[in-house]
Amino acid sequence: MQSAAEYLSLSEPDRSNHLWRYTPWRRVHPTGDISEVPEMKSAEVSITKLDGSPVSEGVVLEKVKSSIGDFPESDPVTLSFLGAVTTASGWNIKVDSGFNTDMPLLLDIDTGQGTSAVHLSLDIGSLSELELITRVRGSGKWFGLLRTGEIGAGSVMNDIVVGHMQRGTMLRVDSVNIGRDAQVRAGTVSSGTERTKADLRYLMGEIGGNVRVLGSILGAGSMHLDHHIEIHHDAPETFSRLSWHSACGGDSKTVGTGMLKVMDGSKGADAAQIFHNLLLSDDAEADSIPELEVLEHEVVGCGHGTANGPLDDDQLFYLQARGLDPSEARSVLIAAFLNSTLSEMGSEALHDWLIILLSTELERLGSSVGN
Amino acid sequence: MSVASDQPDALMEIVDLHVGIDGTSILKGIDLRILPGEVHAIMGRNGSGKTTAANVIMGHPDYEVEQGDVLLDGESLLDEDPWERARQGVFLSFQYPQAVPGLQVGNFLRKSVASIRGEESAKGAAFRNELNEAMDQLNIPRSFLSRYVNDGFSGGEKKRFEILQMMLLKPKLAILDETDSGLDIDGIKTVAAGVNTAVRGTESGALIITHYSRILEHVKPDMVHVLIGGKIVTSGGPELATQLEENGYDWVEKVSAAEEVA
Repeated sequence: MQSAAEYLSLSEPDRSNHLWRYTPWRRVHPTGDISEVPEMKSAEVSITKLDGSPVSEGVVLEKVKSSIGDFPESDPVTLSFLGAVTTASGWNIKVDSGFNTDMPLLLDIDTGQGTSAVHLSLDIGSLSELELITRVRGSGKWFGLLRTGEIGAGSVMNDIVVGHMQRGTMLRVDSVNIGRDAQVRAGTVSSGTERTKADLRYLMGEIGGNVRVLGSILGAGSMHLDHHIEIHHDAPETFSRLSWHSACGGDSKTVGTGMLKVMDGSKGADAAQIFHNLLLSDDAEADSIPELEVLEHEVVGCGHGTANGPLDDDQLFYLQARGLDPSEARSVLIAAFLNSTLSEMGSEALHDWLIILLSTELERLGSSVGN
Repeated sequence: MSVASDQPDALMEIVDLHVGIDGTSILKGIDLRILPGEVHAIMGRNGSGKTTAANVIMGHPDYEVEQGDVLLDGESLLDEDPWERARQGVFLSFQYPQAVPGLQVGNFLRKSVASIRGEESAKGAAFRNELNEAMDQLNIPRSFLSRYVNDGFSGGEKKRFEILQMMLLKPKLAILDETDSGLDIDGIKTVAAGVNTAVRGTESGALIITHYSRILEHVKPDMVHVLIGGKIVTSGGPELATQLEENGYDWVEKVSAAEEVA
C-alpha cells in the first residue's frame, strides 16, 4: 500500500498546473471523493495476433505483482493513485530482443461493467520490431490504465492504444522510456467514453531516440476527452513529432495540451507539435495548448502550432458534386480528417483494422457527431 | 419545365440566365442549347463569368439565380441540390479541385461511382477493369489510388484526376472548367481524348470552358460561344476559336458592337 499512502499524503492538484487546467482531478476520480482509494477489480486481459491466432514465441503476457518504479517525470497524483488501485492487477508484456513479426499484436482489455484498473508494464527487448494495439473496451463505469516501461535500444515499435469503452470514465497514464536509436510511433485512438483523462509521457533519455505521437480523437454527444502529452528530449540527436487530430460534435469537448521539453545537452534535437481541431457543431468545443520548454541552444528545430475550424464548405461542395449527399459528405470528411493521423500509425494491416473501427464508431455515434 | 419549340430536344438548355453573388450581377442573360452528342465551348477573358456559369449549373450554393432557368433533359435543375444534379448526370471538372487529405483516391472513386451509378457498379472485377482501363488511357499509375484526393498533386495530376472521374462517372453533361490550363501539350491531348471518348458517338454532351484554342483543336467543338461581361456576345463554329486566338477579344467586342449598331 506504499502507493496508497503516497497518494493520500498529496494535496489536490492545482488547476494552474498545465495538466489539470481543463479537467480537475475530482472529476476524474472514480467516486469524486478524492480522499478515497477504492478497491477495484482487475479487467480481463488477453493477447493474440490481430487475426485472432495465438502469439508466437518471443512474446509473453503474464500477470505480475504491480509495482511502480521511478518515473520522475510523471504526475505524482495519478501515478500513485493508479499504483494503489492496480496492486493486484499488474500485467507484464515481455518481448524478446530481436523479436520480429509482420502481424500486429492485439492486447485486449475488457473492463467489464464496474470499476476496474490495470497496470501494464512494457518490457520491449532491443532490436525488436512489432506493432502492438492495446484495445480497451467494455461498458465499465470507471477504468484506470497505467502503462509504464521501456522500449529497448534499436527497436522499431508501433504502439497504439484504442480507447473504445461504450460509456464511463477512463483515466490513462503512460510513462514510457524510449531507448537509444529506437523508433516509436505512439498512437492514440479515442472515442466512446463519456470522460477521458489521459496523461501521456515519452522520455528519450538516450541518443538517437525517435518518437511520433499521433492522436485521432472523436468526440460526440456530451463527451469530454482531455489528453495531455509530454515529450522529453534528454539526449542528443533525438527526434519527435506530435500530430493530434480531434473532431468534436454535439456539445462535446476535446482538450489537447502538449508539453515539449528539450533539456540542456540535447544537441541536435528536432521537435515539433501540432494540434488540429475540427468543430462539427456550434456547441462543440476544442481547446489546444501546445507549450515548449527549450533549455538547449543547438537544436535542429522546435516548433508548435494549433488550428481550429469547421468542415470546409468547398470540400463539401466538391464531394456533393461527386454525388455524395450532405450526410455522406460530412461523414467522409470527418473520417478523412481522423484518417490523416490514423494512416501514419503503422502498417497497412494495422491501418485497415483502424479504419474499420473508425467507420463502425462513426456509424454508431451517428447524429450525435453532428449538429 | 420544358421550352416548347420545333427544335430537337436539348440535352441541356440555359434560358435567359441572370446570376449574382453578394449583390453583384455576373451573368446578365445567357442562352445556350447543347444537343446530345455535341461539344460546346465557352471562351472569354478572366472575370467574364465563365466559372460562374459552370458553378451555377452544378448548383454552387453561393450563387443566386436572379432570373432564367437551367434545364437537363427538359427538366429544371434549379431546385436540385448539387448531389442530386450529379446523380442526374451533371459533372463539373473543377478549375481548382479541392484537396481532401486523409481520403484515399481509390476509396473516393468507389464512393462516388456507387452514389451516381449505383452500388453494383462500384464492385468487383468489372469495376476494377474499368478503372484500370481509364487509368491506362490517362497515363495514371496504379499507385495513385492510395494517395489522398488532390493532396500534393501537381497541376497536371489534378486535371487528369478530374478526367478520370468523368470517365468513370459517365455523365450526361460534362462541364470542363479550364481543364486545359496547367497542362502541357501531351496532357491536353490526353484530356481531349478522354472527352472525345466520353461524348462522341454517345447521347452525352460537354461544355468546355477555356481561354485557349489548343484543346479545341483536339476536341473540335460543334459550337463556340464568346462570353464578355456576363453575356454571350457571339457564337460560331470551331473556326471562331482560331479567329479569337489570332485577333483577341478586342476584335470580338468591336465586331459585336458594329453588329449591334447595324
